[in-house]
Amino acid sequence: MAASRGRRLLWHGRCWFSQTESGVPPQPPDSLYPPIVASATAKSKAAKRRRLEHFNQRVHAAASIEEKLRLYGQLQRPKYMLYPQTFALNADRWYRSFTKTVFVPGLPPRAAAAAAKAPGAVAPEAAETPAGVAPEAAKAPEPGTAAPEAAKSPELAAAAAPCLDMGELRSLACDALLQESFYQNKKRPFLYRDQDHTPGPFLTQLVSTLAAFLCGRNPLLAASSLDLKPQVNYYWHHGEEVVVHGHRKGRVDPVRFQIDDNPHLQIRVPKQLPEIVPLESDLGDVPVIDHKPSKLPLFKKQYENKVYIGSKVADPCCYGHTQFHLIPDKLKREKFVRANLEDQIEVVYRANGIASLFAWTAAQAMYQGFWNEADVTRPFVSQAVVTDGKYFAFFCYQLNTLALTVETIQNNPRKNICWGTDSKPLYDVVEDGSVKGFNDEVLLQLVRFLLNRPKEL
Amino acid sequence: LFQGVRQAQWLTKTKLVEGLPPPVLSIIDNPAHHPEDHEEGVKRAISHARLWDTTEVAPRREHYCPVLFEDLMHLCRLMSVKYPSLTKRMLARNYKISATWERESILLQVRGLNGILMNSMAPIPPVASKEEILATEEHVLETFYPISPTIDLQEVNVYKELNDTGKSSFRDGYPYSHPHTLFFLESANVRPNRFRPEQLRAKMLMFAFGNALAKAKVLYGNDPKVLEQPIVVQSVGTDGQLFQFMVFQLNTTDLVSSDGIKNLVWIDSDQNLYEKAQCIPEVKKRVVTKPAGIYGFQPDTFKKFLALYLHGTV
Repeated sequence: MAASRGRRLLWHGRCWFSQTESGVPPQPPDSLYPPIVASATAKSKAAKRRRLEHFNQRVHAAASIEEKLRLYGQLQRPKYMLYPQTFALNADRWYRSFTKTVFVPGLPPRAAAAAAKAPGAVAPEAAETPAGVAPEAAKAPEPGTAAPEAAKSPELAAAAAPCLDMGELRSLACDALLQESFYQNKKRPFLYRDQDHTPGPFLTQLVSTLAAFLCGRNPLLAASSLDLKPQVNYYWHHGEEVVVHGHRKGRVDPVRFQIDDNPHLQIRVPKQLPEIVPLESDLGDVPVIDHKPSKLPLFKKQYENKVYIGSKVADPCCYGHTQFHLIPDKLKREKFVRANLEDQIEVVYRANGIASLFAWTAAQAMYQGFWNEADVTRPFVSQAVVTDGKYFAFFCYQLNTLALTVETIQNNPRKNICWGTDSKPLYDVVEDGSVKGFNDEVLLQLVRFLLNRPKEL
Repeated sequence: LFQGVRQAQWLTKTKLVEGLPPPVLSIIDNPAHHPEDHEEGVKRAISHARLWDTTEVAPRREHYCPVLFEDLMHLCRLMSVKYPSLTKRMLARNYKISATWERESILLQVRGLNGILMNSMAPIPPVASKEEILATEEHVLETFYPISPTIDLQEVNVYKELNDTGKSSFRDGYPYSHPHTLFFLESANVRPNRFRPEQLRAKMLMFAFGNALAKAKVLYGNDPKVLEQPIVVQSVGTDGQLFQFMVFQLNTTDLVSSDGIKNLVWIDSDQNLYEKAQCIPEVKKRVVTKPAGIYGFQPDTFKKFLALYLHGTV
């Protein structure tokens, strides 16, 4: 009885309260009650969304890049390990779909335009330049000496650039090759380690001498850092799947990938290479694969989620220039030919180029603070040369987007782009102290790769 | 080697001079060879090797020692912009040397798969003047009686006296035929596996001597004689922090007797490139006392490294 009277009193009181309320415009009660949000610990989709948002906020608000990387890779779950050097059939199509990459055969036109100014074109250019410039252009063939200061006119710059002495470069390359394969007496190669015996040291020797030779023309190389056998790692999510077995069975999880790469050699520079095409360009289609990634074959393992470009975040040389990869003995050309899989030879080179360069450029972007919720605002460009000692294939990669997760990929029209060539031989055979059938084209392309630099330098 | 450098001196009939020879010192003092950004480059190289080059917290010595060496060589090679003849150099890794000689009726041989050799097309000109060479005649080699000079050497039955680098290491017609500098990297993680500085210097001396002797036999034949054109081979040894520099000049291949003209060696030992590399900041009572970084950097050591690299072409 007393209770019902009390309730009636309360009810009247509340009525009276609300009547006065309607007269005044409702104020947002920001301090009276806390905002009503989904629970953070319940087993519901709203709670999962809230947890995800909280995680994103934490990563956005991280104090330093190391902290951001630590939070990004904090949760360890089973993930697919992607190997850039793989024997899987048609691996490059699968890798392109995992990394949202478009493959464009041939190298980008910018590199080809630089080729037009190559030594082959010195004579017609010297004829075009005005008479006052002709004496300098005539002196141009001497290596490095006649470099007119501060290119006053584009013709001067075009005439000064192509004084690359092909003879000098060819002799450097041949000397390195001959030393490693012919002159130095080494023991017999260890079983299945042919690549460490001759092509490995040859590549190291060639790149280090060429880089030193060309650093006069490319000041970026003078400030560069040369790494031997560095590590490159990247971890990302792409797509969704349902967990098949275990205590988390039935839940929808992102598909996680990790690349752990070991290039033979890499050059890192303090300034970024210029973009090849604008950020939003669309040069082709990304293949869509309906199967699970494990059909490639790809296998899962759970270990530390590493993101690493070759050195820590504190290093000033935080952008990549060129990587050099050596194809291991398992993936030799002869093995593919014997197994009647000639078309897969190029696939090996392409898969290596795409996967390694994606991992490197994406890790560089993460070192600058971008991640899949904070997509890149400028494209990241790097180059790679994949070789087995005799055959060279060149790749150029532009990273336009890091947003590959299910939530972020929906409204993302950007695609990453990879340009690449087929593998061509550098020489035919080495016998009796001389190199037969040396191919200048391949060497020239290598030199052009090394000379690549931002426009203001 | 038990007595270290003294024993090696007796075995190779060499006179020791402290410090580096005058031509090398003049390269060091020449300011044209040291642009300012070199110091920055060297500091970056040390930081890269000691602090940044690993996914773990701190790299171990067998990782950072070769990385530091490669970075310093990269910096030296960039000088070839100014001196084009520097491109006429070739590095040979994992190469084999063997040389034999007789010393007071004891047959000695140096053999091994040692370090890294840098070859050049042109030989290094002799660093000591004729008078100095003649003056070594009066110098008496130290003996450590009653300890036999061959203590701690492995006695081996040698059936084939393999002699010159030309035969066992490089084939004829090799264009980069003059050994220029030998590099030794003591990169074992555990201290007992590494050579102590004294032993490292002795090892450097023996191998430099071996290379020079092999080259002399190729050029001048196997007869023991005094060389008119002495052969100079340099040597650098390091454990990632301490550097030992050595310039060896072979004046004579007449090694049987202990009199007459001796060979010369200039040694600059125990040069620190930096004092300490702090990977993690040192924190005492929640206050950072020593932030991470490189402490005690000494630019002179790199100047000497560079001078030895440039020697012969400048």
